[in-house]
Amino acid sequence: MSGSGSADERKVSSLRELSPAIEPPRDLWPQIEARINAQRRSAPAAQPRPARALPPRWLAAAALVASVAVGVWIGRSLLPAARSGSDVESARSASRASFAGAPTALDVAYVSDPRYQRDRAALMKSLQARLAALPPAARAKVMASLAALQRAKEDLESALGKDPGNALLQELLVNTYQDEMRVLTDVQASDAGRGI
Amino acid sequence: MTQAQAEDTRVDWEAALVQRACTGDTRAFERLYREHAGRVYGLCLRMTRDTHLAEDCTQETFINAWRALPRFETRSSLSTWLHRIAVNVSLATRRKASPVAPSLDDEAGTGGACEWTLETPVEVREIEAAIGALPEGARDALVLHALYGYSHGEAAQMLGVAEGTCKAQLHRARRLLRERLNVEVG
Repeated sequence: MSGSGSADERKVSSLRELSPAIEPPRDLWPQIEARINAQRRSAPAAQPRPARALPPRWLAAAALVASVAVGVWIGRSLLPAARSGSDVESARSASRASFAGAPTALDVAYVSDPRYQRDRAALMKSLQARLAALPPAARAKVMASLAALQRAKEDLESALGKDPGNALLQELLVNTYQDEMRVLTDVQASDAGRGI
Repeated sequence: MTQAQAEDTRVDWEAALVQRACTGDTRAFERLYREHAGRVYGLCLRMTRDTHLAEDCTQETFINAWRALPRFETRSSLSTWLHRIAVNVSLATRRKASPVAPSLDDEAGTGGACEWTLETPVEVREIEAAIGALPEGARDALVLHALYGYSHGEAAQMLGVAEGTCKAQLHRARRLLRERLNVEVG
């Protein structure tokens, strides 16, 4: 069963010495390839797709983003109702404008959008002062959220460096920047002494 | 380079090929086929005992693998995954060829301590013939455990039988080999 000639005449002292591999009598690849190609033509959806083969690290980043987003949402639900600052509204508008619509490869480049950069810089400039005015528990919560978002951004950017065309990663990165902007605007809108 | 390092490199290389194949790269998948075809065909041939069926099963195994590749966890062993598919395909093919299921009678004893050593050396051809003549259940368990190195539990899981049944089949295989080869199988 394992071929012919000297290989068959070889003597062994254990079954474990038998080779598990037996080369097929002919090359089976051409037929396999033909069937794969036929399947691809008839059912494109059945082909392997890259988006489903994300390494666990990226999925972990996605989970982190999701958990931070939930945290942000919970934080926002505890915020005071009064949020009338024009700077905050302006930042939100910029954020919404940047993130509106389905993400595409171009969306990832939104970080270089001057309006976004200007709004973010303004929020970052006042962040320390705002943080200092927050109660310690709220301050810790905000800093933890921002740190988690920063880690998620770094992981996603690193993953996108290896797979720049990955639409899911692009979407996750856009969502992460969006969440960061929400945290910053919420901090901006919060009054001293009121929780986030 | 140590053996462990070489194995790591091979696994990395294989993982990269799997990732490329997942994007639809058939050349990468062909490389995986070339790497694993011999062991997959060897398994199919020993399970079906028919070169044409074994060829069909090998093709089916790789086509099924191509379809399922996005679900493959790169942390696990590709060869084990392919062997699982090959066993399923071979069992299904065999069931179609002879619908009567083989009896899985549990004999006394276990195949646990067997090292599959032969008291006196025997020609490969003679052993392969003796393995081929074993009843299906005993042959399947023997091939997966003694030739492919899977544990009782792994072999049982691949074959869809209880571990005790797998051990009993190994015990039976050892007894039958001893009778057919006229040597002690330790």
